[in-house]
Amino acid sequence: MSVEAEPSRVLPSIPASPGLIASVLRLLAFVDDLPFGATGVLDFGEQGLILLESRKICWAVARCMRLRLTDILRNQSTPPLPREAVEEIYRRCKGNGKPIGEALVTSGLVTEAGLRVALFKHNGEAIAHLAGSGMAPNGFVSHTRTGYDPKFSFSPGEVLAMLGSLDDPARALAAQIELGNTLVPDSFGAAFVRSSTSAGALIIAVDRACDLPVSDLLEVCNWTAGLFDVAHTFDPEASLALATWGGHLALVAWRSKDVTYLGLCASRAAAARLVSRLESSSKSSGVIATAARYREPV
Amino acid sequence: MTFRAERAGGGLDESNSLDLVCATASVRSGALLDEAVSDRTRERLEGLAATLPDVFGTVDPTCLDRIAERLGGKPGDATFVEILLLSDTKLHVIQPLAGRPGVAVVAACPANSSIGLVLTAIRARVGDWEAR
Repeated sequence: MSVEAEPSRVLPSIPASPGLIASVLRLLAFVDDLPFGATGVLDFGEQGLILLESRKICWAVARCMRLRLTDILRNQSTPPLPREAVEEIYRRCKGNGKPIGEALVTSGLVTEAGLRVALFKHNGEAIAHLAGSGMAPNGFVSHTRTGYDPKFSFSPGEVLAMLGSLDDPARALAAQIELGNTLVPDSFGAAFVRSSTSAGALIIAVDRACDLPVSDLLEVCNWTAGLFDVAHTFDPEASLALATWGGHLALVAWRSKDVTYLGLCASRAAAARLVSRLESSSKSSGVIATAARYREPV
Repeated sequence: MTFRAERAGGGLDESNSLDLVCATASVRSGALLDEAVSDRTRERLEGLAATLPDVFGTVDPTCLDRIAERLGGKPGDATFVEILLLSDTKLHVIQPLAGRPGVAVVAACPANSSIGLVLTAIRARVGDWEAR
């Protein structure tokens, strides 16, 4: 029996409040402010903790959470995983100190994709609860113990996108697929919408290579949103933008329905490849076809 | 493909084969700086020029620096050097003049133009604009 990935399933126990994203942003800023490569525990006292490895979120727990990881894992499959089998692995892990999720994958009860989805939900819910409590962390306790598989850890941007996706999980999943199909090597990116639940851009998808601090990611999303806003005054149909800076770096932004995508490229060649890929995936768009002719003049 | 000589006021003649119009504008005020551009050129570029304060005034250079660092670039050159905006019918270009801080070239042409040729045409004129 294996667990199928269901990234679009909404987390029912995340407290849905207008201030959720703002409070999560404040919390994730603590993670982003840690030194590069920080490994240890962001301690919230009795309220909970966030375990980090190389500044990525491996595990988070909040006292008031209603669902445990094992509950999420069990309920992700149909029929649910047998409780006894899961609890047996849990007991074994408690004894040998290994992460339970990875032991479940090894046992064949859960797929890697299923575990990642479950951890994403679990950690996202914990962070939402910790953020909702309004507590700042007591401090960061650094340690050298590592061992979490990077496949099962999440950047602050990914967590933010997961919470941003709650409004419309299907739209967020489509955006995630679009990013995955479009971004090229030497680029990373995100997708966002305008929403009343956030002051500016609401990030709904982030590709895994994007490790920008959430404040910088939001800044560039808001700038991109503003660029299309002002472009609307002289060309309401403008739907693709290319901006270059720093000699060879480029930002490619494109809009599809109400979602705006951006790809940050380490070279102009990467930007050209990204635009070319947009053309091949959007044959009907005259805008993209035009942009595909973008080549640096000799 | 060749261009006809630009007009005395500095805007390229809109009758050239790319149907490209361009002029300089103030990044701070959004006003076109070339007084002698034709009414048609002005009409095509005024809207774009007016957005410059928003486009350049809302980006945090330190943020671009940090992103540059993550992308493997060198921090310290956190200003957009070229911005292209495309729709199905139009291509608009903004290119700040490195030699004249606070001034940018704004250009517009049909979307079916070769972007490489458009950029080449604009860059060919940059020396003249910077010398003013």
